[in-house]
Amino acid sequence: MTTKLSVRRRGTILERVRNGEDGILAIGNHPAVIQSILDLDFLSGKRTPSILGIITGNRKAYKCFFGTREIMIPCFKDLEHVPPHARTRVRWMLNLQSGRRAFDSTMRFFEAFPQALGGHIFAENVPEAHAAELIRRFSGKLIAGPSGVGILVPGHLKLGAIGGIDASQLEAGKLKTPGTIAVVSTSGGMTNELIRAVAASGHRVSFSVCIGGDRFPVTPLSDVLALAQTDPQTEALVYFGELGGSDEYEIAELLEKKRFTKPVVAYVAGIIDEAFDEHMQFGHAKALVRSHDESARAKRDALVKAGAVSPATFPEFLQAIAWLPRAAVRDTVADINALMNRTPSILSTREVVDQSEIPVFVRAGKLARRSENAFAASALKALLGRDVSPITAAYAEGVFELLMDHGGAVSGAVNTMVTARAGKDMVSSLAAGLLTVGPRFGGAVNDAARAWLSGVASGKDASDFVETRARESSLIPGIGHRKYRVGVPDPRVAALAQFATLLKKHPHYDFARAVEVATTAKNGQLILNVDGTIAALFLDILAECEKYSRAELEELVDVEFFNALFIIPRSVGFIAHFIEQKLHDEGLFRLPEELLFVRPSGKKKKK
Amino acid sequence: MARVKISEYRAKRIILGDLYRGLELHEDVKLPRALKGEWVAKVDQGVKKRFKQGLVAIGSRAKLASALAAWKKKGFSRFIVEPFVPHKENEERYLSLERVRDGVRVLHAKAGGVDVEAHPEAVETFIVREQADIKKLAHGMKLPETFLADLLEAFNANFLAFLELNPLIVRKNAAFPLDAAALVDSTGAFFTRAWSESDIVEAKPTSPAEARVKALDATTPASLKLSVLNQNGSIFLLLSAGGGSIVIADQAELAGAGKLIGNYGEYSGGPTREETYLYAKEVIGLLLRSKAKRKALVIAGPVANFTDVKRTFLGIIDALSEAAVPLRQAKVKVFVRRGGPNEAEGLALMREFLTREKLLGAVSGSEAVITKAIDEAISFIRV
Repeated sequence: MTTKLSVRRRGTILERVRNGEDGILAIGNHPAVIQSILDLDFLSGKRTPSILGIITGNRKAYKCFFGTREIMIPCFKDLEHVPPHARTRVRWMLNLQSGRRAFDSTMRFFEAFPQALGGHIFAENVPEAHAAELIRRFSGKLIAGPSGVGILVPGHLKLGAIGGIDASQLEAGKLKTPGTIAVVSTSGGMTNELIRAVAASGHRVSFSVCIGGDRFPVTPLSDVLALAQTDPQTEALVYFGELGGSDEYEIAELLEKKRFTKPVVAYVAGIIDEAFDEHMQFGHAKALVRSHDESARAKRDALVKAGAVSPATFPEFLQAIAWLPRAAVRDTVADINALMNRTPSILSTREVVDQSEIPVFVRAGKLARRSENAFAASALKALLGRDVSPITAAYAEGVFELLMDHGGAVSGAVNTMVTARAGKDMVSSLAAGLLTVGPRFGGAVNDAARAWLSGVASGKDASDFVETRARESSLIPGIGHRKYRVGVPDPRVAALAQFATLLKKHPHYDFARAVEVATTAKNGQLILNVDGTIAALFLDILAECEKYSRAELEELVDVEFFNALFIIPRSVGFIAHFIEQKLHDEGLFRLPEELLFVRPSGKKKKK
Repeated sequence: MARVKISEYRAKRIILGDLYRGLELHEDVKLPRALKGEWVAKVDQGVKKRFKQGLVAIGSRAKLASALAAWKKKGFSRFIVEPFVPHKENEERYLSLERVRDGVRVLHAKAGGVDVEAHPEAVETFIVREQADIKKLAHGMKLPETFLADLLEAFNANFLAFLELNPLIVRKNAAFPLDAAALVDSTGAFFTRAWSESDIVEAKPTSPAEARVKALDATTPASLKLSVLNQNGSIFLLLSAGGGSIVIADQAELAGAGKLIGNYGEYSGGPTREETYLYAKEVIGLLLRSKAKRKALVIAGPVANFTDVKRTFLGIIDALSEAAVPLRQAKVKVFVRRGGPNEAEGLALMREFLTREKLLGAVSGSEAVITKAIDEAISFIRV
């Protein structure tokens, strides 16, 4: 028997999973479930986690264990932000959102990842109409739920809470060992109970799907049976069902028509219903015309008649599982204790400087030759977490030199000096100066970087860019100078601009220059200034010499990397002003009265 | 996902919109003064076979008023009043809609008032999968196309799961549903304004304990369910998981002890300690109020996937602690079987508590069969 689900060009879904197509994107976070998936990955001997990312707001990473080592799982605020390298590996959706949001996010997931093989919708309370629409659209996928605990392919895929969440449960259910028994159930708790029963009887599970207890599971029982029939690993099926619905008649029909030919051991719960006068407690509101008797007894009888083993009691059912033909079992040894006793760290950071590496300054009585721009190079290595090329280091060195000080009149220097004069120490005075850095003082490099990035990314013409800004009456950072103008160029800008000749292309710098053409046409003072030049060329250098992608550059802007280019050298300048004040101590500073303009208070009334 | 019944009044408002001239009357609302001509009054509480039970009245205002007064005396509190549509019996038809896996199943019979279950041969069946099907269906069943299209649209847009119009009168392009019964998908409440919680009618009055659990269930992502089966039962069930709880209850029935069961219910989906405490308190309360001589409490469930055994057991112990003295006085024994996350710690806490309070029947974990605790409780009761 073949259906869309079971046979595909690249093998059945199960074969593809066993061949490593296991990439999961989680929508919403359920820490225990996510951790259990990583634990099974680790116990199964995978080198990399199957979870590629989590769609969730307000964070960029979620810290988990992979074995006993901590790792950061990337988080994205929406599907569009999943980067290309993860995107190509996504095969499975783990939807952990509430019933109110699950439909919408599932639709968007399969639109964004048409190559995905399936998923699991964890939520209960997904409306019937939503489930019906998902069925209409995604019948070719393997989607467990709404509700239930998901899909398991031992040793290869754990999509959901299925099989338990702590490592001792994963071990008790032998979830890392592929086997020969397919476990299928509507109920989440009973899925796990059956997985345990299969393991305890010396068998192992080939795959398991918890269909979920909702009226309209996206992937119905018949499709899961087709999967079991075509799966060469599966030798028998263990099934748990309940009163209500007519799924069991489908199994019976498939057995009778010899379209399902493997042994079936089934338990249909709900005999208790016969003890009550009415069907209130279990019976759903069913169709008025029923083609079949939906009682547990009738469904069990139908299964038995079709050739399944369907005992009356649960202990007999367990016995029947134990009697299923056994295959050789090869369990690998796993150290569960190590996974059970892990203490997560409370903060995460990175080794900024390699402290084990001791530099050599003097060798054999002579100065050891150190590379040029060594400080700039090591500062960038600390900031960016990678070695940088000579051009990048030389550029940073130049920037540091240009931005070291800009005289005593600027806001930050004034604050440093005033604080020093008030008798405060170096750190306080430096802090006073640094605390001034922001949108109007010193922050222009980062802001300019943001402007050039968005300008180039938008693909807009520079004059349109200027026009848009003008209409919003917002200033363009990196443009404009008090002293220099067209005809009187800033020599520092000219010096920096030489770096452009070292690059193959420099789109941000070109864009900044094009903006300058548009702005100077209006006002000769609106030239590209030092801040704007630094930002533009640094973007181009990072892109070309350090292979930064646009997204990575955006991230650098978001974390204010470009402000560091100002703060590092200017700290030297502020300290110099501090030392100067302390060396020539003039006592407490007070602004001369005549320099203050004092407006009369409007509230005072003349008598 | 549950299908619940809404009032006939609300169902008709949804399908007929502002054209509907019927009125909804609650216990304290009187009939309008200006009610001219012939009207129909019915009890609107999801009761079946109203006509046979005398819960339908037809006639003038005075006649309806006296019928309403009589129904109120019987304890009914919700009524529908609408204009009477004079018609011949042979005009009556049957029409129902139900959401099924692949669309909306429409059943139609030319004779109304029909008991479809007894006369499947009189019923035509059709499944509407897409818009284009409506035209075919209208033609085939000789129903006005606009009526059918509007009906399906209202059905789909407002999360209806089942709608029965029986009898339905069709005259040219107009259709008059005389009686309507509708089930809505309760999970749709968030997405529609056409109906709300207050339109849901319940034929069976719930006990205070059931009502409290229902209220609790509505405020948590976990699942908490409780039905009282026999208030003087001997065995009370504090079960977890939807499927596993049925297996355990089945075992009682298979052992011929179905009638000893006092309640059915389950908690699942990872409730907090506090939620489990509140739920357990209700079950323990039912057990204490039962007049049975010998009583047992069964705390059982399958091996949970993610519901924390320790956390939920702490909640149960909180509830048992409060009632330890009366439980001991009633010589109640507690039988436990459960597995899942933090199983060892949860079981140890439970065993220690039950031993200290002299309530211990037996405690077992995932190594034991799921039905062990119920078997033990039945043997204890039958001694």
